[in-house]
Formats: sequence, C-alpha cells, structure tokens
Amino acid sequence: MGYQDIIKKVKDEERNDLSVKLTDVLLEAKGGAAVPSSVAKAILYKWKGDELSSDEGLKYLLKGAMKADEERSKTILDEMGLGVDR
Amino acid sequence: MIKRFGIEFVPMDLYWRTTYYCIQAERLGYDSIWITDHFNNRNVYVSLTMIANYTDKIKLGPGVTNPYMVHPVMTAESVASLNEIAPGRVICGIGAGDKTTLEMAGVEMKSPLRTVRESVEIIRRQIVREKTGYDGKIFKTTGGARFNFKTADHIPIYIGAQGPKMLQLAGRIGDGALINASHPDDIERAVKLIRKGSEKAGRDPKEVDIAAYTSFSVAETEKKARKPVVPVVAYIVAGSPPFILEKHGISVETADKIKSDLANRNWDEAFGAVDSQMIDVFTVCGSPEQCTEKIDILFKTGITHFITGSPLGPNVRASIDLFGKEVLPHFKEN
Repeated sequence: MGYQDIIKKVKDEERNDLSVKLTDVLLEAKGGAAVPSSVAKAILYKWKGDELSSDEGLKYLLKGAMKADEERSKTILDEMGLGVDR
Repeated sequence: MIKRFGIEFVPMDLYWRTTYYCIQAERLGYDSIWITDHFNNRNVYVSLTMIANYTDKIKLGPGVTNPYMVHPVMTAESVASLNEIAPGRVICGIGAGDKTTLEMAGVEMKSPLRTVRESVEIIRRQIVREKTGYDGKIFKTTGGARFNFKTADHIPIYIGAQGPKMLQLAGRIGDGALINASHPDDIERAVKLIRKGSEKAGRDPKEVDIAAYTSFSVAETEKKARKPVVPVVAYIVAGSPPFILEKHGISVETADKIKSDLANRNWDEAFGAVDSQMIDVFTVCGSPEQCTEKIDILFKTGITHFITGSPLGPNVRASIDLFGKEVLPHFKEN
C-alpha cells in the first residue's frame, strides 16, 4: 500500500492525532539520521504553515517516520486501523 | 514591565529536530532563541541559519559564543550575515566561555573581562563598518578589516556572566545581560551588580535587558520534571565557583568528587551524588504551576527576560508545549 492510499483511509477527526504520533516517532527515534534531508525540510515547511495534518503533510511525515523507525510507525498505523502489510 | 521569554538549544540533536522545536516555540509566543556554541556540537551559525529560514518573528542568536574559540571579527561577520536572512531579529550572546570545554581544545582563558570587553567593542565597530582599526591589548585590527557589506539593523549584544566583575561589565556595556543562574538569591545579587555597572557608566539600568539564563525543566508532575535535570545539575555543580557552592551549603569536596567522576565517566556515581537541594539551587523545574510560581519570583528580582535552558523537560516537544500553553500565558496576559 502506498502512502497516498494510507492517507486516503485516515478519518478527518484522526488526522491531527496521526500527525502528532508520527511527529513523536520522528523526534524520538534513534534512527532519525536516516530521514532524508529533503523529507525533513518538507516536514519543517509544512510544520511552519501548520499543515502537518494535510495530505501532503501526512505524506512527508509517513515517509520520514518509516525511515526513522519503521516498526513503531507500522504499529501506530495498525492501532489506528490503517495497517499496512507486514 | 516587559516580560520576555526565551529558549535555549544545545545543537546536539539533528538540525531538523532543533528547527522543529524552534518553529514550535515561535508559534507558542516565545520571544527569543539562543543556540549554544561549543565546538563539539553542531555549528551554531549553521543551526541558526536553518532556524532563521523557518521562522519569521522570533529573535535568535548565539547564546553564548566566546572570543577564545571565535575571533570577534568572525562573530561580527556571522551575526551580520545572519541578519540578512533574519532582518532585525538577530541577537548576539557572548561570554568568556566554559573553561572545561576550552581546555579540551588546549585554549587558555586569559583575561576574560578584558577579552570580552574588547570583543564587544570590535563586534560593534565591525557591524557599523568603522574605517579605523582597533588597538586593544588583546585584539588588534587594521582599517582593512572593515566589512565589504552593510548591516541594516542594530544587533543587540548580550553578555553572559556569572562573576561580579563580568556582571558589572554587562551592565556597563551590554545591550543585555545573560545571568548564568537559576536561584532567586543568585539572580537578585546579579541584577544588583548589573545595575551597579550601568549606573557607574552613567547609563539608565533600564536600557539593559536582563535575562535569567536558567537550567529548566517542566512536566505534568514535579517528579517527572526533576529526573532529566540530574545530569545537567551534576555538570553545573562540578563547574560552579566555590563562592556559589558555599553560599548554598554545598561542599567544595562534594563538587570536586562529582567533577572527578564526570571526568572519569563514572556516570552513576556523578549523577547519584546530585541531591534534591542541588536541583533546587541550580534549576527552575517542576509542574507548570510550580514553574509559574518560581518564574514569578525571578521577575520580582528585576529581570526582564526569562530563558528556559536545557534540559527543558523529559520530552522536549511536550515540555515546550506545556510551557507555552500553561506557563507563558500567565505572564503574557498579565
């Protein structure tokens, strides 16, 4: 399942919750250095504009979080019923 | 009375994490960002440039750089260049530096008072493109050192200080002072010395923005807030001058033991020696209500700026949020 497909499944009322959880993964993961600089900058740009819950914002957060800590990111998606195939 | 709030970051973490927190701080209404300058962390001006690109209003600058590792003409060049990216938002914190870190690089801290004073003079002269050179006892420049570019804005210089003479110097020549302390008694003493310095120089003490540059931690509960300050306090105790330790009833022997354990990387012993009293003396920490109360006491000593320094809290994002939503409004709305 691609990132866009996952994002389509996110309910409006859960967008903010997902963005916060993925942000925590990014800020806390030991593997943060694996996040490409281009993705990190896109996330910062979206954060500055308060758009991390938008489609684009969530896409970059997912990309980054998967790089930083794939296991924890997948668990979050599973718990929110957005599971991807393991 | 103006009450400003700042936040300090040690650029040990990935650049985008520090930048994320800075955007968060700006959105919550903080007034200033201070990035520490230690050669063993990420570069202060690279960090500041990134932060400047992703913020619009908040003031930002080194907090603090030192003239032993960075020549003042380079500091002037750096802050002036940063001002092009963040016009009118740049502030510059400068102090004598941390003796332990300087020693790691084989640099001796000679004549700190004169070195800082001459540095401030050179930075100011460079920024306004003085045509003549500077003839100090520590630093000398020629007319050829003049910048090839103009700086449109005034860049306030804050002097980082702890000892009586440096505090008076801050009052004498600084646009601001950064008091390296957290306890009300130490800050009250520092404010008096800064004002004394201003008065001696014939300045109105109100011209100087006096900041308490504290070691800070906030969390939902006091217990959670105290845990992350332990390593920071160990380093503060180890680096504190005897007169500060004795004033607070902390034995120099205990401090020396902590210093030795830190040097030998005996973390359990060093951190285990940090007691509750040391935390109270060297940090502002607790629940939002406790922090509000402590900060209120600090503003009553005469400071005009409160800076939350490391470690900020057990979870940096959550602690910035907690401070911005539950502590800051108490002061900004009153």
